Amino acid sequence: MTWLNLRADTVYCIVRLTIGLMFACHGGQKILGFPPSERGLATTPMGLTAGWIELSCGFLVAFGLLTGLAAFIASGEMAVAYFLTSFSGKTLNHAPSALDRLLPILNKGELPVLLCFMFLLIMFYGPGRWSIDSLLKGKLRGAATS
Amino acid sequence: MNSLNRFADPIYCIFRLVIGLLFACHGGQKILSFPPGGHGMPTDTLSWIGATIELVGGFLIAFGFLTRLAAFIAAGEMAVAYFMVHAAGKALDHAPSAVEQFFPLLNKGELAVLYCWCFLFFLFYGPGRWSIDALIGKGRPAAPASAT
Repeated sequence: MTWLNLRADTVYCIVRLTIGLMFACHGGQKILGFPPSERGLATTPMGLTAGWIELSCGFLVAFGLLTGLAAFIASGEMAVAYFLTSFSGKTLNHAPSALDRLLPILNKGELPVLLCFMFLLIMFYGPGRWSIDSLLKGKLRGAATS
Repeated sequence: MNSLNRFADPIYCIFRLVIGLLFACHGGQKILSFPPGGHGMPTDTLSWIGATIELVGGFLIAFGFLTRLAAFIAAGEMAVAYFMVHAAGKALDHAPSAVEQFFPLLNKGELAVLYCWCFLFFLFYGPGRWSIDALIGKGRPAAPASAT
């Protein structure tokens, strides 16, 4: 199965791009009003911080610039989002039971959990082959040798 | 690339475990009615197939048994789910506009897209170090391939 592993880095970069862009969409909803959402723009400091993190880190992760740092911040934000919103039952319209707290599928926190772990993986895995980070690194190395 | 890469494979295995269990929850909701709060037992063949893939595939991926096969099937199922349900606008209560068909965020298909891509990555990356596959020697622990 090593022939699949040869392509793993390429697939990783495509996954990183998709996830980064989808994450940036959330920030776009809060900051730019695009994609449109019923909740409108963010007004609270917490919402604005979250929106800016999602917008900027989403694009940084998508195109692989400062990947590790951006993924670290995004992962932290998603952990905060999960525990502050989903885990404490604020997305439900009733008081959360113990089971609601335990299972992300019930407290509607599945997306933050997934994104949090995905960004953690991105932070540890690195930018991958197709990224601005590795482009820059190649340029720097080329300049150093010439 | 750096010192973090050394831990990429263990993190990958934890990630695989979490995602597999979350995915199995969806199958459990449909077949076992646990966790509660689903739409009830599946009624047509297609949702039975979907629920079985989610429950069995989720656990296989979580514990890393036949990881690549399970991830391949699960990724395929999620792609079907996205295009049949979400991109077609069936998760919305109105006819989808062009923007809604395009953005997973608006047609509520973000989770399906995420699962699909993650499982595709699992298919290529393999079971990783901490998995049943690696224990029984079928899969080799994949080296973190960041060639930067």
